[in-house]
Amino acid sequence: MTHARFDDLIHAPTRLSIVSLLAASQWADFQFIRDSVGLSDSALSKQLATLEQAGYVEIGRGFVGKRPRTSARLTPAGRVAFEQHVAALQEMVAKSGSTILPRQ
Amino acid sequence: MNGELRPGEAADALAEIQKRQQQVIDRATVPAWYWWVVGVLMVVLAVGVDTRTHLAIGITAPVFVVGMLFATGAAVRSQIFGARVRDGLLDGRGVISILAFVALIVGCTLGIAFALRAAGASYPATIACGVGGLGMGLGGPVLNRMLRRIMLGNRAGVTR
Repeated sequence: MTHARFDDLIHAPTRLSIVSLLAASQWADFQFIRDSVGLSDSALSKQLATLEQAGYVEIGRGFVGKRPRTSARLTPAGRVAFEQHVAALQEMVAKSGSTILPRQ
Repeated sequence: MNGELRPGEAADALAEIQKRQQQVIDRATVPAWYWWVVGVLMVVLAVGVDTRTHLAIGITAPVFVVGMLFATGAAVRSQIFGARVRDGLLDGRGVISILAFVALIVGCTLGIAFALRAAGASYPATIACGVGGLGMGLGGPVLNRMLRRIMLGNRAGVTR
């Protein structure tokens, strides 16, 4: 059973989207995250740096053939924080009388 | 901040989480065209086997191998250049579903081929692979949906 803990750092709208993408991934390409969330390169770099400083995300830099590639992955601490945050959100919805369900 | 968050906002955040996780899972799913391409390539190879000439086998075998390499490369491209789905999402049920699907297609194709050959039919491998390829094209998307459902059930925030 995951302990519920609301995380202000994760809950910021764009960071929530980024962390949600990473939570379903082993790793995700910078370009994929940028296009999925609809951010500019600099805005995404800034958000990833914030998550990296918190110890939630690891940034990897490498090459595929001759193409430079930046990827990101959730750290174990980031995964735990995300799961606790999801549990906190679910708790809030459940306490309201279970009448509010996320959109399908 | 959570003290100020209304239940409706929490539900919206959960919906956003679900949407983003689905994006990764949908990207990881093999496209429907892949199954039809594999089915057609099976028939191509079978024609070579049934024709039993060096020229036919020399043409159809490379077409099969190159076609499979290109189709598989294109199908997994999103996994190489986009995002790789988390290992834990596809559990034992997913692996069993894939193995059962492959066993069913291979078993049916071989069974039909041997039965047709025993009955003296011409082009038994081609007919059997035609049936197997049809099964692949029609059953592949069903397998995709099953795997997608399993992965969605294993994502974070789903009560198990």
